[in-house]
Amino acid sequence: MKPTVDVSGEAATLDKRVTSLDDAIQAMAETRDFGKHTKLRRVLEALRRVLIQPGGAAAVQARAQALEEAGLFQGTDWASPEILVPALVSGSLHSGDADTVVMEATSELRMLAVARGDFAHPTFPAEDARQFLSQVLAKNLELLFSAPSEAERVQQGRTAQLVRALFRHLAEEIGYDSVLDDLVDEIWRILRQRPIQVEAAQSLITRIAIYRNSPDVALGVSSGQGIDRLISSLYGTTEACREDPGIDVFRSRLEAMDAGGLQYEATGFARAMHDTGLVSPYHAELLRFLLSESEHLYLVGEALGLSDTGRNCLLRYSQLVHRLIEVAVHPQTAQCIYGLALLLDRGILYEPPVVPALWRQLALELSPVAHERLTTVFGETPGPRARLVAGVLSMLGLPLGVGQGDNPTCQSARALSMWAYNDPDYLLQVVVWAARDDEILMHFEGRPISSKDSVSGVASTLPLDLDPVSLLVVPHLDRIYAEMGRRCAERPGDPHRWVNPEFHGWWTGRGFHINVDVATGNLVDLDEFLRQFHASYHPSYNGEQPLIHPQPAGVAVTDSAARYVGWHAITILRVAPDPQDVMRVYFFNPNNDSGQDWGDGVVVSTAGNGERFGEASLPFDQFASRLYIFHSDPLEHGEPERVPAEDVARITGYIERSWGNDRLPGGTLQALERPTSL
Amino acid sequence: MTQGEPATKNPDKGYVALLGWSLNAVEALDRFDRRYVVVAPEWAEKYCVDHEIPYVPWNFERLNDRSMEIAETLKDAGVDVAIPLYEETVEWAGAINSVLLDNPRLYGQAMLLRDKALMKRRAQLGGIRVGIFEEAHDRDDVIRFLKRVNQTLLKLDGDPNDPIHLKAFDKAGCLGHRVIRTPDEIDMIPEEEFPVLMESHLDGWEFAVEAWVHNGKIKFLNISEYVTLGYSVFVPATPELERYRPQITAQIEKLIKTFDIEFGFVHPEYFVTSDGEMYFGEVAYRPPGFKVFELLERAYGFNAYQALVLAFDPKTTEEEIDAFFPREVVDASGIAGCFGVYPRRRVVSELEIPEETEDDDYYESHDLSTPLEETVTKRTAFGTHWGLVYFFGEDPYRMRDLLKKQEELDFYV
Repeated sequence: MKPTVDVSGEAATLDKRVTSLDDAIQAMAETRDFGKHTKLRRVLEALRRVLIQPGGAAAVQARAQALEEAGLFQGTDWASPEILVPALVSGSLHSGDADTVVMEATSELRMLAVARGDFAHPTFPAEDARQFLSQVLAKNLELLFSAPSEAERVQQGRTAQLVRALFRHLAEEIGYDSVLDDLVDEIWRILRQRPIQVEAAQSLITRIAIYRNSPDVALGVSSGQGIDRLISSLYGTTEACREDPGIDVFRSRLEAMDAGGLQYEATGFARAMHDTGLVSPYHAELLRFLLSESEHLYLVGEALGLSDTGRNCLLRYSQLVHRLIEVAVHPQTAQCIYGLALLLDRGILYEPPVVPALWRQLALELSPVAHERLTTVFGETPGPRARLVAGVLSMLGLPLGVGQGDNPTCQSARALSMWAYNDPDYLLQVVVWAARDDEILMHFEGRPISSKDSVSGVASTLPLDLDPVSLLVVPHLDRIYAEMGRRCAERPGDPHRWVNPEFHGWWTGRGFHINVDVATGNLVDLDEFLRQFHASYHPSYNGEQPLIHPQPAGVAVTDSAARYVGWHAITILRVAPDPQDVMRVYFFNPNNDSGQDWGDGVVVSTAGNGERFGEASLPFDQFASRLYIFHSDPLEHGEPERVPAEDVARITGYIERSWGNDRLPGGTLQALERPTSL
Repeated sequence: MTQGEPATKNPDKGYVALLGWSLNAVEALDRFDRRYVVVAPEWAEKYCVDHEIPYVPWNFERLNDRSMEIAETLKDAGVDVAIPLYEETVEWAGAINSVLLDNPRLYGQAMLLRDKALMKRRAQLGGIRVGIFEEAHDRDDVIRFLKRVNQTLLKLDGDPNDPIHLKAFDKAGCLGHRVIRTPDEIDMIPEEEFPVLMESHLDGWEFAVEAWVHNGKIKFLNISEYVTLGYSVFVPATPELERYRPQITAQIEKLIKTFDIEFGFVHPEYFVTSDGEMYFGEVAYRPPGFKVFELLERAYGFNAYQALVLAFDPKTTEEEIDAFFPREVVDASGIAGCFGVYPRRRVVSELEIPEETEDDDYYESHDLSTPLEETVTKRTAFGTHWGLVYFFGEDPYRMRDLLKKQEELDFYV
């Protein structure tokens, strides 16, 4: 009988707490707007105490309308559900501040009440609410499947369990099927940007695979379209590994195969890899097997799915490529195969310094610091040298796949990406300095800056959530970047004028344009700024000159309500008409997910508008409306006077409706924006 | 629905002025049928204008020649009565009401209620039992008083002294309250705290009363039980204390007669000794601290600020006020209590409600602030707590134990 006693005890506790909550809601409802905040604390405490009880989420859901009408959300972002963004929910739910968690959780339960038709919301339709929640669940699926991480436990204590109870309730009410569809779409959307780091996507796919095989789950026929492709690209790509048999069984099957069978395997893996951007661990085993038998070597190109250029490179430098595979490609580092394939396709091995630099990389002795950092983050197998070579292959193959992780180091990530894209042998040089010498030396206006002497960078702690190259190099770059900023501290105006060219490379335009007055933070010379930007970058005003080198630029990032969030470093890659003949700026955002809604109709696109993998894009004038810093060649003048006044006015309108609305002080280093992650 | 509009006002009822800024009072009046105006310093102006709260600016410094000005302003506006919300505005209310109600004695009455020494004398004259007290102008006075009191108590040299209490004449509650046992402690008193009132220590059970008075009669009498003075209070009291209700009521009747109180609200403090004798501590003519009004609302459901207005408004009828109040003790839906938190450690970095407290069925809420500085200022006098923790439940004894228990817990770590 004991369980019954416990259950009824729990129910009694919940009843009491719910009564207290009703009382608190009532008190808040009776209060006129100016006094609401005096009743807030009691409502929040009551909510939290109800939410941590079993059945508490349902009780709050039932009171969602009463809570909103009492004014709980008044004066906060939650007051307008139509501006809420599913991607930001996770941040609030993982907040160390219990009140934020409670508000966010209550808002989700309100969405649920709206979605289920129990609460006819004045500004938010049920269908939108359902969609919102599906996306929230999709982005936070780990909350459904896993226990709190150590970090959550330390930071949130029991609140972490509250959040999990909330998600179980949400998923039960909304249904897993719809979540799965959105989740799969989301994974595809991220993968289409071809990030170097795919661990988050891999772990989600793995969890879905486990979930789908669970006997308790009956999925609708149509649910999870496209998930099969993702799961199979990791665990059952080809005939020989269809049922995920394990590496040893797979290897023995390969050994028993004839040439036709192997060819079939090779093309199967290559197709899956180029299709999804994901690489199966079996793919690594196949490559290692092909290398072990000289009669199969001709299939390496097949297994990499190379273009003509790639095949040429492979034939010309086969010894190097084979050695790279031997050292770097293991089931644990399979993802670097994709980097290797794209590296070959890019043809950069034909640049004279790259091949010898890669040989140096293969033989590199790591400093104890580098050795330790790599093994701490990635483990012992394969060893740190293999990890680093794998990381180099990924970065050279996917220069636009570099991400800053959850760190304020957008400048350093941008620099790595730019070098990988534009100056690969310099990147290889920088990696050697960081990995072998544990020191990078750069010059600022002729004076040396050592990463060892500089005290602190933009990031306060050493980042851990990065790819192998970034992991070793970013801390050095970050300190140098910060030191360059310090050396400009006394100068009037924005430090990027001097720092950007010295930090990134000679090709950075020495002409510098900024539309924010550093001293006051107010907008200045807007008309001139926008005309110059057209004259430098827009083919119609710069003499049809395509952009030659990637150029660093600074944008004012805004949230989905078009409110200023922070300064952010990006790279302008090219300006060209898209398939609909709209002139677009294609750029690289070191943020891990470039697809962001910047408000006022400015939605950054990552696919479907002519973007290459890893590129983000906006129509030219929308891009110009978020730009605050760009570089240009001062000797190329273009035709600024030809830019129509109405174009300038339209862009100015975008600025005034967003970050230009009430100008904040500028002049800090571009490092404030926190990226969102998958 | 979210209320964007104030409650409908009854033009036949009184028009009151609130002296001092209290958001809780304003909020309560906003949804009550009496017309009101807030009289507060200029810093409240923006808030009042932004939220359409009727407002007259006034700086409550020492009464001066301009005192008549505010009285006339309010009179011209048609205000019937002024209600003090803080100790500092009690004499202003007296001065203003003597004009508004055309009763000069109200001012004198207010002065009595503002000065703790005058107050005790008046009580003594009215036949109310008080402890031994005296004014002190310097440290020597304090030494003398400490010696005298202990001589009176027939203590021998070397016996531990009975303590004496030092209080500012005109400050509310525990502000400036010190307990002195030895002459060494007297040296610790800063010069600027003088003059002070000194009182002998009364060994007994201290409690407070909140009484609403209309036409010279008590309309509602609450007994607030202290668990530990300066830490915790709850309402209604335990049956153990409530059994003195008839004697306590008699004492309050004596008090309002002695002080000539016809209307309004009194908040006196008493000690009851083990033989059932009541000793008067002090009385205030304004709402109590420690959020007792909020506790009353939680326990009984009526709003104590609205009750305050009813008791002050000369246009309130007997029937109206009788209908407003519930019956004492029996009509309470539960016991509401609160605990004042002081950091126990010297260095604190964050606010953390102990799990033990949070998990308790009685726990409801808190208004504790997050620490701004890491080092906790050493408490001299009784000091100010960092916020309150609120509880609600059925059993007054369990409430008392629970509040006592909180004293051993760390809320700031």
